[in-house]
Amino acid sequence: MSDASLSSAVVRQGRPRRPPPSAFGIGVGVVVIVLTILTTWNWKYGTGFSPAEVLRKLRNRNPVVSAIAHTEFSQVFSPRSRNAFVETLRLAVLGSVSGIVVALPLALWSTRFGAPNRLVLIVVRAVCNVIRAFPDILWAVLFVAAVGIGALPGLLALFLFSIAVVTKLTADTLDGIDMGPIEAAHASGAGHSQMLRTAVVPQILPAYASYSLYAFELNLRASVVLGLVGAGGIGQRIEFFRNQPAWEKVWGLVVMFVIVVFIVDRLSTLLRRRLV
Amino acid sequence: MIRFSGASVTYGGGVHALKDLDLEIADGEFVVIVGLSGAGKSTLIRAVNGLVPLTSGSLDVNGHEVTALSRRGVRDLRADIGMIFQGFNLVNRTSVINNVLMGRLHRVPTWRTLIGLYPKDDVEIAMRALERVEIVEKAYVRAANLSGGQRQRVGIARALAQEPKIILADEPVASLDPPTSHVVMRYLQQINRELGITTIVNLHFLDLATAYADRIIGLRSGELVFDGSGAEADATVFENIYGRSLTADDTMAKEAAGL
Repeated sequence: MSDASLSSAVVRQGRPRRPPPSAFGIGVGVVVIVLTILTTWNWKYGTGFSPAEVLRKLRNRNPVVSAIAHTEFSQVFSPRSRNAFVETLRLAVLGSVSGIVVALPLALWSTRFGAPNRLVLIVVRAVCNVIRAFPDILWAVLFVAAVGIGALPGLLALFLFSIAVVTKLTADTLDGIDMGPIEAAHASGAGHSQMLRTAVVPQILPAYASYSLYAFELNLRASVVLGLVGAGGIGQRIEFFRNQPAWEKVWGLVVMFVIVVFIVDRLSTLLRRRLV
Repeated sequence: MIRFSGASVTYGGGVHALKDLDLEIADGEFVVIVGLSGAGKSTLIRAVNGLVPLTSGSLDVNGHEVTALSRRGVRDLRADIGMIFQGFNLVNRTSVINNVLMGRLHRVPTWRTLIGLYPKDDVEIAMRALERVEIVEKAYVRAANLSGGQRQRVGIARALAQEPKIILADEPVASLDPPTSHVVMRYLQQINRELGITTIVNLHFLDLATAYADRIIGLRSGELVFDGSGAEADATVFENIYGRSLTADDTMAKEAAGL
Protein backbone atom coordinates (compact mmCIF):
# COMPACT_ATOMS: atom_id res chain seq x y z
CA MET A 1 0.00 0.00 0.00
CA SER A 2 1.25 3.45 -0.84
CA ASP A 3 0.26 4.69 2.60
CA ALA A 4 2.57 2.22 4.32
CA SER A 5 5.54 3.03 2.09
CA LEU A 6 5.00 6.73 2.69
CA SER A 7 4.92 6.41 6.47
CA SER A 8 8.00 4.20 6.54
CA ALA A 9 9.98 6.49 4.24
CA VAL A 10 9.28 9.67 6.23
CA VAL A 11 11.25 10.17 9.41
CA ARG A 12 9.02 11.05 12.34
CA GLN A 13 9.84 14.57 13.40
CA GLY A 14 8.90 16.64 16.43
CA ARG A 15 5.27 17.26 15.53
CA PRO A 16 3.46 20.01 17.41
CA ARG A 17 0.85 19.01 19.99
CA ARG A 18 -2.72 19.81 19.12
CA PRO A 19 -3.35 23.13 20.93
CA PRO A 20 -5.98 23.07 23.72
CA PRO A 21 -9.30 24.84 23.04
CA SER A 22 -9.02 28.57 23.59
CA ALA A 23 -10.11 30.08 26.91
CA PHE A 24 -12.36 32.47 24.98
CA GLY A 25 -14.22 29.64 23.25
CA ILE A 26 -14.77 27.80 26.55
CA GLY A 27 -15.89 31.03 28.23
CA VAL A 28 -18.48 31.80 25.55
CA GLY A 29 -19.82 28.25 25.74
CA VAL A 30 -20.17 28.39 29.54
CA VAL A 31 -21.90 31.80 29.45
CA VAL A 32 -24.43 30.61 26.82
CA ILE A 33 -25.31 27.50 28.86
CA VAL A 34 -25.55 29.37 32.19
CA LEU A 35 -27.72 32.15 30.68
CA THR A 36 -30.05 29.61 29.09
CA ILE A 37 -30.55 27.79 32.40
CA LEU A 38 -30.97 31.00 34.42
CA THR A 39 -33.64 32.41 32.10
CA THR A 40 -35.68 29.24 31.66
CA TRP A 41 -35.53 27.96 35.29
CA ASN A 42 -38.60 28.52 37.43
CA TRP A 43 -37.35 31.16 39.90
CA LYS A 44 -37.65 34.87 40.56
CA TYR A 45 -35.88 36.06 37.36
CA GLY A 46 -36.65 33.04 35.19
CA THR A 47 -39.53 32.30 32.83
CA GLY A 48 -40.35 28.86 34.18
CA PHE A 49 -40.40 27.44 30.69
CA SER A 50 -41.80 23.95 30.22
CA PRO A 51 -42.31 22.21 26.84
CA ALA A 52 -45.18 20.14 28.27
CA GLU A 53 -47.11 23.29 29.12
CA VAL A 54 -46.63 24.69 25.61
CA LEU A 55 -48.07 21.51 24.11
CA ARG A 56 -51.00 21.48 26.56
CA LYS A 57 -51.90 25.09 25.81
CA LEU A 58 -51.71 24.53 22.06
CA ARG A 59 -54.09 21.57 22.38
CA ASN A 60 -56.68 23.68 24.21
CA ARG A 61 -59.57 24.74 22.06
CA ASN A 62 -58.84 28.26 20.90
CA PRO A 63 -60.63 30.23 18.18
CA VAL A 64 -57.45 31.06 16.24
CA VAL A 65 -56.30 27.48 15.74
CA SER A 66 -59.77 26.04 15.13
CA ALA A 67 -60.41 28.67 12.45
CA ILE A 68 -57.66 27.14 10.30
CA ALA A 69 -60.06 24.37 9.32
CA HIS A 70 -62.55 26.96 8.06
CA THR A 71 -60.09 29.20 6.23
CA GLU A 72 -62.04 31.46 3.87
CA PHE A 73 -60.15 31.09 0.62
CA SER A 74 -62.72 33.42 -0.94
CA GLN A 75 -60.74 36.27 0.65
CA VAL A 76 -58.17 35.70 -2.10
CA PHE A 77 -60.75 36.97 -4.62
CA SER A 78 -62.31 39.75 -2.57
CA PRO A 79 -61.76 43.12 -4.30
CA ARG A 80 -61.20 44.96 -1.01
CA SER A 81 -58.54 42.50 0.08
CA ARG A 82 -56.97 42.68 -3.34
CA ASN A 83 -56.85 46.47 -3.17
CA ALA A 84 -55.25 46.29 0.25
CA PHE A 85 -52.72 43.88 -1.20
CA VAL A 86 -51.88 46.13 -4.12
CA GLU A 87 -51.31 48.91 -1.62
CA THR A 88 -48.89 46.68 0.30
CA LEU A 89 -46.95 45.90 -2.88
CA ARG A 90 -46.92 49.56 -3.80
CA LEU A 91 -45.60 50.43 -0.35
CA ALA A 92 -42.88 47.80 -0.59
CA VAL A 93 -41.76 48.91 -4.08
CA LEU A 94 -41.82 52.65 -3.34
CA GLY A 95 -40.19 52.26 0.08
CA SER A 96 -37.45 50.01 -1.32
CA VAL A 97 -36.67 52.08 -4.41
CA SER A 98 -36.51 55.41 -2.56
CA GLY A 99 -34.50 53.82 0.25
CA ILE A 100 -31.88 52.11 -1.89
CA VAL A 101 -31.32 55.25 -3.99
CA VAL A 102 -30.41 57.16 -0.83
CA ALA A 103 -28.48 54.21 0.61
CA LEU A 104 -25.79 54.13 -2.11
CA PRO A 105 -24.26 57.57 -1.45
CA LEU A 106 -24.71 57.08 2.30
CA ALA A 107 -22.80 53.78 2.15
CA LEU A 108 -20.01 55.40 0.08
CA TRP A 109 -19.73 58.37 2.44
CA SER A 110 -19.63 56.14 5.51
CA THR A 111 -16.24 54.71 4.51
CA ARG A 112 -12.86 56.30 5.17
CA PHE A 113 -11.88 56.53 1.51
CA GLY A 114 -15.36 57.49 0.29
CA ALA A 115 -16.17 60.39 2.61
CA PRO A 116 -15.30 63.77 1.06
CA ASN A 117 -14.16 64.97 4.49
CA ARG A 118 -14.11 63.95 8.16
CA LEU A 119 -17.25 65.89 9.07
CA VAL A 120 -19.32 64.06 6.43
CA LEU A 121 -17.91 60.74 7.63
CA ILE A 122 -18.88 61.36 11.25
CA VAL A 123 -22.35 62.77 10.46
CA VAL A 124 -23.27 60.02 7.96
CA ARG A 125 -22.11 57.27 10.30
CA ALA A 126 -24.09 58.77 13.18
CA VAL A 127 -27.25 59.12 11.06
CA CYS A 128 -26.96 55.53 9.82
CA ASN A 129 -26.47 54.22 13.35
CA VAL A 130 -29.59 56.03 14.58
CA ILE A 131 -31.70 54.79 11.65
CA ARG A 132 -30.48 51.24 12.24
CA ALA A 133 -31.01 51.32 16.00
CA PHE A 134 -34.80 51.78 15.58
CA PRO A 135 -36.72 48.67 14.46
CA ASP A 136 -39.10 49.21 11.50
CA ILE A 137 -42.21 48.76 13.65
CA LEU A 138 -41.08 51.58 15.95
CA TRP A 139 -40.58 53.91 12.97
CA ALA A 140 -44.10 52.98 11.83
CA VAL A 141 -45.60 53.73 15.27
CA LEU A 142 -43.79 57.08 15.35
CA PHE A 143 -44.87 58.05 11.83
CA VAL A 144 -48.49 56.97 12.42
CA ALA A 145 -48.49 59.26 15.44
CA ALA A 146 -46.87 62.05 13.44
CA VAL A 147 -48.74 61.99 10.09
CA GLY A 148 -51.82 59.90 10.87
CA ILE A 149 -53.12 56.45 9.87
CA GLY A 150 -52.66 55.43 6.21
CA ALA A 151 -50.08 54.49 3.61
CA LEU A 152 -47.75 57.46 4.15
CA PRO A 153 -46.36 56.38 7.57
CA GLY A 154 -45.82 52.88 6.15
CA LEU A 155 -43.92 54.30 3.20
CA LEU A 156 -41.72 56.44 5.44
CA ALA A 157 -40.98 53.51 7.75
CA LEU A 158 -40.00 51.24 4.83
CA PHE A 159 -37.90 54.03 3.31
CA LEU A 160 -35.82 54.28 6.51
CA PHE A 161 -35.73 50.50 6.95
CA SER A 162 -34.35 50.05 3.40
CA ILE A 163 -31.70 52.68 4.07
CA ALA A 164 -30.66 50.87 7.23
CA VAL A 165 -30.37 47.44 5.59
CA VAL A 166 -28.74 48.44 2.29
CA THR A 167 -26.32 50.98 3.79
CA LYS A 168 -25.01 48.49 6.33
CA LEU A 169 -24.54 45.60 3.88
CA THR A 170 -23.05 47.79 1.15
CA ALA A 171 -20.65 49.45 3.58
CA ASP A 172 -19.42 46.00 4.66
CA THR A 173 -18.81 45.10 1.00
CA LEU A 174 -16.93 48.38 0.51
CA ASP A 175 -14.47 47.33 3.21
CA GLY A 176 -13.21 44.53 1.00
CA ILE A 177 -12.81 46.24 -2.37
CA ASP A 178 -9.59 46.58 -4.40
CA MET A 179 -8.00 49.94 -3.52
CA GLY A 180 -5.78 49.95 -6.64
CA PRO A 181 -8.30 51.65 -8.97
CA ILE A 182 -8.85 54.36 -6.35
CA GLU A 183 -5.13 55.18 -6.42
CA ALA A 184 -5.25 55.18 -10.21
CA ALA A 185 -8.20 57.61 -10.24
CA HIS A 186 -6.45 59.94 -7.80
CA ALA A 187 -3.25 59.77 -9.86
CA SER A 188 -5.14 60.84 -12.98
CA GLY A 189 -6.44 64.00 -11.31
CA ALA A 190 -10.06 62.82 -11.00
CA GLY A 191 -12.47 64.59 -8.65
CA HIS A 192 -13.78 62.83 -5.56
CA SER A 193 -17.24 61.97 -6.96
CA GLN A 194 -15.67 60.92 -10.25
CA MET A 195 -13.33 58.60 -8.37
CA LEU A 196 -16.24 57.01 -6.47
CA ARG A 197 -18.29 56.57 -9.64
CA THR A 198 -15.54 55.08 -11.83
CA ALA A 199 -13.25 53.24 -9.38
CA VAL A 200 -15.60 52.14 -6.57
CA VAL A 201 -19.19 51.79 -7.82
CA PRO A 202 -18.41 49.23 -10.58
CA GLN A 203 -16.77 47.03 -7.95
CA ILE A 204 -19.80 46.94 -5.65
CA LEU A 205 -22.65 47.23 -8.16
CA PRO A 206 -23.59 43.51 -8.27
CA ALA A 207 -23.55 43.22 -4.47
CA TYR A 208 -25.50 46.46 -4.11
CA ALA A 209 -28.16 45.27 -6.58
CA SER A 210 -28.43 42.00 -4.67
CA TYR A 211 -28.86 43.82 -1.33
CA SER A 212 -31.49 46.05 -2.90
CA LEU A 213 -33.55 43.03 -3.95
CA TYR A 214 -33.08 41.54 -0.50
CA ALA A 215 -34.32 44.79 1.04
CA PHE A 216 -37.41 44.54 -1.16
CA GLU A 217 -38.10 41.01 0.11
CA LEU A 218 -37.77 42.18 3.71
CA ASN A 219 -39.98 45.20 3.01
CA LEU A 220 -42.77 43.08 1.57
CA ARG A 221 -42.92 41.10 4.82
CA ALA A 222 -42.39 44.13 7.01
CA SER A 223 -45.23 46.00 5.29
CA VAL A 224 -47.71 43.48 6.77
CA VAL A 225 -46.48 44.05 10.31
CA LEU A 226 -46.54 47.81 9.74
CA GLY A 227 -50.21 47.56 8.70
CA LEU A 228 -51.04 46.16 12.14
CA VAL A 229 -50.14 49.51 13.71
CA GLY A 230 -52.16 51.43 11.15
CA ALA A 231 -49.57 52.06 8.45
CA GLY A 232 -51.74 50.90 5.54
CA GLY A 233 -51.86 47.88 3.26
CA ILE A 234 -52.89 44.29 3.88
CA GLY A 235 -51.73 44.47 7.50
CA GLN A 236 -54.42 47.00 8.25
CA ARG A 237 -57.06 44.65 6.80
CA ILE A 238 -55.74 41.73 8.84
CA GLU A 239 -56.00 43.93 11.90
CA PHE A 240 -59.62 44.80 10.90
CA PHE A 241 -60.68 41.12 10.77
CA ARG A 242 -58.74 40.29 13.94
CA ASN A 243 -60.74 42.85 15.87
CA GLN A 244 -64.11 41.46 14.69
CA PRO A 245 -62.82 38.66 15.39
CA ALA A 246 -63.03 36.76 12.11
CA TRP A 247 -60.08 34.37 12.14
CA GLU A 248 -61.29 32.43 9.09
CA LYS A 249 -60.87 35.60 7.05
CA VAL A 250 -57.49 36.34 8.62
CA TRP A 251 -56.26 32.90 7.58
CA GLY A 252 -57.56 33.49 4.06
CA LEU A 253 -55.46 36.64 3.85
CA VAL A 254 -52.46 34.79 5.26
CA VAL A 255 -52.76 32.15 2.51
CA MET A 256 -52.90 34.91 -0.10
CA PHE A 257 -49.87 36.60 1.41
CA VAL A 258 -47.81 33.42 1.62
CA ILE A 259 -48.42 32.76 -2.08
CA VAL A 260 -47.27 36.25 -3.09
CA VAL A 261 -44.23 36.24 -0.81
CA PHE A 262 -43.24 32.82 -2.09
CA ILE A 263 -43.37 33.97 -5.72
CA VAL A 264 -41.49 37.21 -5.03
CA ASP A 265 -38.87 35.33 -2.99
CA ARG A 266 -38.23 32.80 -5.74
CA LEU A 267 -37.92 35.48 -8.42
CA SER A 268 -35.65 37.59 -6.27
CA THR A 269 -33.43 34.66 -5.30
CA LEU A 270 -33.08 33.63 -8.95
CA LEU A 271 -32.14 37.18 -9.92
CA ARG A 272 -29.68 37.58 -7.08
CA ARG A 273 -27.94 34.34 -7.97
CA ARG A 274 -27.30 35.75 -11.43
CA LEU A 275 -25.89 38.96 -9.95
CA VAL A 276 -23.14 37.83 -7.62
CA MET B 1 11.13 69.50 -16.30
CA ILE B 2 11.30 67.85 -12.90
CA ARG B 3 13.70 69.21 -10.28
CA PHE B 4 14.15 67.84 -6.75
CA SER B 5 16.18 70.12 -4.45
CA GLY B 6 17.11 68.86 -1.00
CA ALA B 7 13.97 66.74 -1.09
CA SER B 8 13.30 64.42 1.86
CA VAL B 9 10.39 62.15 2.74
CA THR B 10 10.10 60.70 6.23
CA TYR B 11 7.21 58.37 6.94
CA GLY B 12 5.50 58.06 10.29
CA GLY B 13 7.64 55.72 12.40
CA GLY B 14 10.82 57.51 11.35
CA VAL B 15 11.52 55.68 8.06
CA HIS B 16 13.60 57.94 5.79
CA ALA B 17 12.35 57.02 2.31
CA LEU B 18 14.15 59.90 0.57
CA LYS B 19 17.14 61.77 2.00
CA ASP B 20 18.17 65.19 0.79
CA LEU B 21 17.70 64.33 -2.90
CA ASP B 22 18.96 66.64 -5.66
CA LEU B 23 17.88 65.51 -9.09
CA GLU B 24 16.95 67.08 -12.39
CA ILE B 25 15.09 65.29 -15.17
CA ALA B 26 14.76 67.11 -18.51
CA ASP B 27 11.73 66.97 -20.81
CA GLY B 28 11.58 63.88 -23.00
CA GLU B 29 14.09 61.79 -21.03
CA PHE B 30 13.62 58.04 -20.47
CA VAL B 31 14.88 57.46 -16.94
CA VAL B 32 15.01 54.15 -15.10
CA ILE B 33 15.29 54.15 -11.32
CA VAL B 34 16.92 51.09 -9.80
CA GLY B 35 17.44 50.03 -6.23
CA LEU B 36 16.44 47.35 -3.75
CA SER B 37 12.90 47.27 -2.48
CA GLY B 38 12.64 49.88 0.24
CA ALA B 39 15.32 52.05 -1.38
CA GLY B 40 12.80 54.81 -2.06
CA LYS B 41 11.96 54.19 -5.75
CA SER B 42 8.19 54.20 -5.23
CA THR B 43 8.41 57.23 -2.94
CA LEU B 44 10.40 59.18 -5.53
CA ILE B 45 7.90 58.41 -8.29
CA ARG B 46 4.87 59.17 -6.09
CA ALA B 47 6.39 62.45 -4.97
CA VAL B 48 6.34 63.70 -8.57
CA ASN B 49 2.52 63.62 -8.78
CA GLY B 50 1.96 64.51 -5.15
CA LEU B 51 0.67 61.10 -4.04
CA VAL B 52 3.43 61.23 -1.42
CA PRO B 53 4.11 64.72 0.01
CA LEU B 54 7.66 65.85 0.70
CA THR B 55 8.60 66.28 4.36
CA SER B 56 11.20 68.91 3.47
CA GLY B 57 12.97 70.39 0.46
CA SER B 58 11.36 71.42 -2.78
CA LEU B 59 10.13 69.79 -5.96
CA ASP B 60 9.40 71.63 -9.18
CA VAL B 61 7.34 69.83 -11.82
CA ASN B 62 6.61 71.64 -15.11
CA GLY B 63 7.16 74.96 -13.38
CA HIS B 64 4.89 74.24 -10.39
CA GLU B 65 6.20 73.90 -6.85
CA VAL B 66 4.43 70.66 -5.85
CA THR B 67 4.72 71.31 -2.11
CA ALA B 68 2.85 74.61 -2.44
CA LEU B 69 -0.05 73.45 -4.63
CA SER B 70 -3.67 73.66 -3.50
CA ARG B 71 -5.99 70.63 -3.75
CA ARG B 72 -7.21 71.91 -7.09
CA GLY B 73 -3.63 72.61 -8.17
CA VAL B 74 -2.55 69.07 -7.35
CA ARG B 75 -5.40 67.70 -9.48
CA ASP B 76 -4.42 69.96 -12.38
CA LEU B 77 -0.82 68.78 -12.07
CA ARG B 78 -1.84 65.11 -11.96
CA ALA B 79 -3.91 65.53 -15.11
CA ASP B 80 -0.61 66.07 -16.98
CA ILE B 81 1.08 63.05 -15.40
CA GLY B 82 0.07 59.52 -16.38
CA MET B 83 0.79 56.67 -13.98
CA ILE B 84 1.29 52.94 -14.54
CA PHE B 85 1.22 50.48 -11.65
CA GLN B 86 2.72 47.11 -10.76
CA GLY B 87 -0.71 45.65 -9.99
CA PHE B 88 -2.28 47.39 -13.05
CA ASN B 89 -4.97 48.97 -10.81
CA LEU B 90 -7.74 48.37 -13.33
CA VAL B 91 -11.39 47.97 -12.38
CA ASN B 92 -11.82 44.32 -13.31
CA ARG B 93 -15.62 44.35 -13.36
CA THR B 94 -15.91 46.98 -16.06
CA SER B 95 -14.92 47.20 -19.72
CA VAL B 96 -11.48 48.08 -21.04
CA ILE B 97 -12.74 51.32 -22.60
CA ASN B 98 -14.30 52.43 -19.29
CA ASN B 99 -10.94 51.82 -17.62
CA VAL B 100 -9.12 53.88 -20.24
CA LEU B 101 -11.72 56.66 -19.98
CA MET B 102 -10.59 57.06 -16.36
CA GLY B 103 -7.64 58.87 -17.93
CA ARG B 104 -10.06 61.50 -19.29
CA LEU B 105 -11.82 62.27 -15.98
CA HIS B 106 -9.98 65.53 -15.47
CA ARG B 107 -11.43 66.90 -18.72
CA VAL B 108 -14.94 65.45 -18.32
CA PRO B 109 -17.62 67.24 -16.26
CA THR B 110 -18.59 65.42 -13.06
CA TRP B 111 -22.27 65.05 -14.04
CA ARG B 112 -21.28 63.31 -17.27
CA THR B 113 -19.05 60.92 -15.32
CA LEU B 114 -21.86 60.14 -12.85
CA ILE B 115 -24.28 59.08 -15.60
CA GLY B 116 -21.49 57.43 -17.60
CA LEU B 117 -22.04 59.58 -20.69
CA TYR B 118 -18.60 60.52 -22.01
CA PRO B 119 -18.18 63.11 -24.80
CA LYS B 120 -17.40 61.63 -28.24
CA ASP B 121 -14.00 63.35 -28.40
CA ASP B 122 -12.89 61.76 -25.15
CA VAL B 123 -14.00 58.30 -26.28
CA GLU B 124 -12.03 58.91 -29.50
CA ILE B 125 -8.89 59.80 -27.51
CA ALA B 126 -9.33 56.65 -25.40
CA MET B 127 -9.73 54.51 -28.53
CA ARG B 128 -6.59 56.01 -30.07
CA ALA B 129 -4.69 55.23 -26.86
CA LEU B 130 -5.83 51.61 -27.12
CA GLU B 131 -4.71 51.53 -30.77
CA ARG B 132 -1.23 52.71 -29.78
CA VAL B 133 -0.80 49.66 -27.53
CA GLU B 134 -2.56 47.49 -30.14
CA ILE B 135 -5.40 46.21 -27.99
CA VAL B 136 -8.33 48.23 -29.34
CA GLU B 137 -10.19 45.05 -30.33
CA LYS B 138 -10.69 44.37 -26.60
CA ALA B 139 -12.33 47.75 -25.95
CA TYR B 140 -15.68 46.29 -24.85
CA VAL B 141 -14.26 43.22 -23.09
CA ARG B 142 -14.26 43.16 -19.30
CA ALA B 143 -10.80 43.87 -17.88
CA ALA B 144 -11.12 40.69 -15.78
CA ASN B 145 -10.98 38.61 -18.97
CA LEU B 146 -7.53 39.86 -20.05
CA SER B 147 -4.09 38.34 -19.46
CA GLY B 148 -1.51 40.15 -17.31
CA GLY B 149 0.33 41.60 -20.31
CA GLN B 150 -2.91 42.79 -21.89
CA ARG B 151 -3.97 44.42 -18.61
CA GLN B 152 -0.73 46.35 -18.38
CA ARG B 153 -1.20 47.56 -21.96
CA VAL B 154 -4.63 48.82 -20.92
CA GLY B 155 -2.87 50.48 -17.96
CA ILE B 156 -0.53 52.22 -20.42
CA ALA B 157 -3.49 53.25 -22.59
CA ARG B 158 -5.20 54.75 -19.53
CA ALA B 159 -2.09 56.84 -18.84
CA LEU B 160 -1.83 57.84 -22.53
CA ALA B 161 -5.50 58.90 -22.59
CA GLN B 162 -4.52 61.72 -20.25
CA GLU B 163 -2.34 63.10 -23.08
CA PRO B 164 0.31 63.55 -20.40
CA LYS B 165 3.63 65.40 -20.40
CA ILE B 166 5.12 62.87 -17.98
CA ILE B 167 4.53 59.13 -17.48
CA LEU B 168 5.43 57.47 -14.18
CA ALA B 169 5.69 53.67 -14.16
CA ASP B 170 6.05 51.96 -10.79
CA GLU B 171 7.49 48.45 -11.34
CA PRO B 172 5.34 48.03 -14.48
CA VAL B 173 6.64 44.55 -15.30
CA ALA B 174 7.11 43.03 -11.84
CA SER B 175 3.93 40.94 -12.19
CA LEU B 176 4.70 39.78 -15.76
CA ASP B 177 6.73 36.99 -17.35
CA PRO B 178 9.97 37.89 -19.27
CA PRO B 179 8.64 37.96 -22.88
CA THR B 180 5.62 40.03 -21.82
CA SER B 181 7.90 42.32 -19.83
CA HIS B 182 9.88 43.14 -22.95
CA VAL B 183 6.68 43.86 -24.88
CA VAL B 184 5.55 46.31 -22.20
CA MET B 185 8.99 47.96 -21.95
CA ARG B 186 9.12 48.38 -25.75
CA TYR B 187 5.73 50.12 -25.73
CA LEU B 188 6.98 52.51 -23.04
CA GLN B 189 10.17 53.21 -25.00
CA GLN B 190 8.25 53.75 -28.24
CA ILE B 191 5.82 56.15 -26.54
CA ASN B 192 8.74 58.09 -25.10
CA ARG B 193 10.51 58.38 -28.46
CA GLU B 194 7.51 59.08 -30.67
CA LEU B 195 5.48 61.33 -28.41
CA GLY B 196 8.35 62.87 -26.45
CA ILE B 197 6.69 62.12 -23.11
CA THR B 198 9.14 62.22 -20.19
CA THR B 199 9.12 58.69 -18.78
CA ILE B 200 10.30 57.54 -15.35
CA VAL B 201 10.28 53.80 -14.72
CA ASN B 202 11.07 51.87 -11.54
CA LEU B 203 12.70 48.51 -12.20
CA HIS B 204 14.58 45.96 -10.18
CA PHE B 205 15.98 43.84 -13.02
CA LEU B 206 19.42 45.12 -14.09
CA ASP B 207 19.30 43.77 -17.65
CA LEU B 208 15.93 45.40 -18.31
CA ALA B 209 17.24 48.68 -16.93
CA THR B 210 20.37 48.75 -19.09
CA ALA B 211 18.47 47.55 -22.18
CA TYR B 212 15.88 50.36 -22.19
CA ALA B 213 17.17 53.29 -20.13
CA ASP B 214 18.73 56.41 -21.62
CA ARG B 215 19.66 57.31 -18.08
CA ILE B 216 19.84 55.22 -14.92
CA ILE B 217 19.39 56.58 -11.42
CA GLY B 218 20.47 54.38 -8.52
CA LEU B 219 18.92 54.74 -5.09
CA ARG B 220 20.17 53.16 -1.87
CA SER B 221 18.28 53.75 1.39
CA GLY B 222 16.74 56.93 0.04
CA GLU B 223 19.98 58.42 -1.28
CA LEU B 224 21.15 58.98 -4.85
CA VAL B 225 24.19 56.72 -5.36
CA PHE B 226 24.37 56.63 -9.16
CA ASP B 227 23.31 58.85 -12.03
CA GLY B 228 24.55 58.03 -15.52
CA SER B 229 23.80 56.52 -18.90
CA GLY B 230 22.75 52.90 -19.36
CA ALA B 231 26.15 52.13 -20.90
CA GLU B 232 28.04 53.40 -17.85
CA ALA B 233 26.09 51.16 -15.50
CA ASP B 234 28.14 47.97 -15.22
CA ALA B 235 28.22 45.24 -12.59
CA THR B 236 30.41 47.30 -10.20
CA VAL B 237 27.95 50.16 -10.34
CA PHE B 238 25.03 47.86 -9.54
CA GLU B 239 26.92 46.22 -6.69
CA ASN B 240 27.36 49.69 -5.26
CA ILE B 241 23.66 50.50 -5.71
CA TYR B 242 22.57 47.26 -4.09
CA GLY B 243 25.31 47.32 -1.47
CA ARG B 244 25.98 43.62 -2.09
CA SER B 245 27.25 41.26 -4.80
CA LEU B 246 24.83 40.47 -7.62
CA THR B 247 22.79 37.25 -7.79
CA ALA B 248 20.74 35.50 -10.45
CA ASP B 249 17.60 37.08 -8.97
CA ASP B 250 18.81 40.51 -10.05
CA THR B 251 18.53 39.88 -13.77
CA MET B 252 15.44 38.77 -15.62
CA ALA B 253 17.30 36.65 -18.23
CA LYS B 254 19.11 34.50 -15.66
CA GLU B 255 16.02 34.17 -13.50
CA ALA B 256 14.05 33.06 -16.55
CA ALA B 257 16.73 30.49 -17.41
CA GLY B 258 16.26 29.04 -13.93
CA LEU B 259 19.77 29.73 -12.68
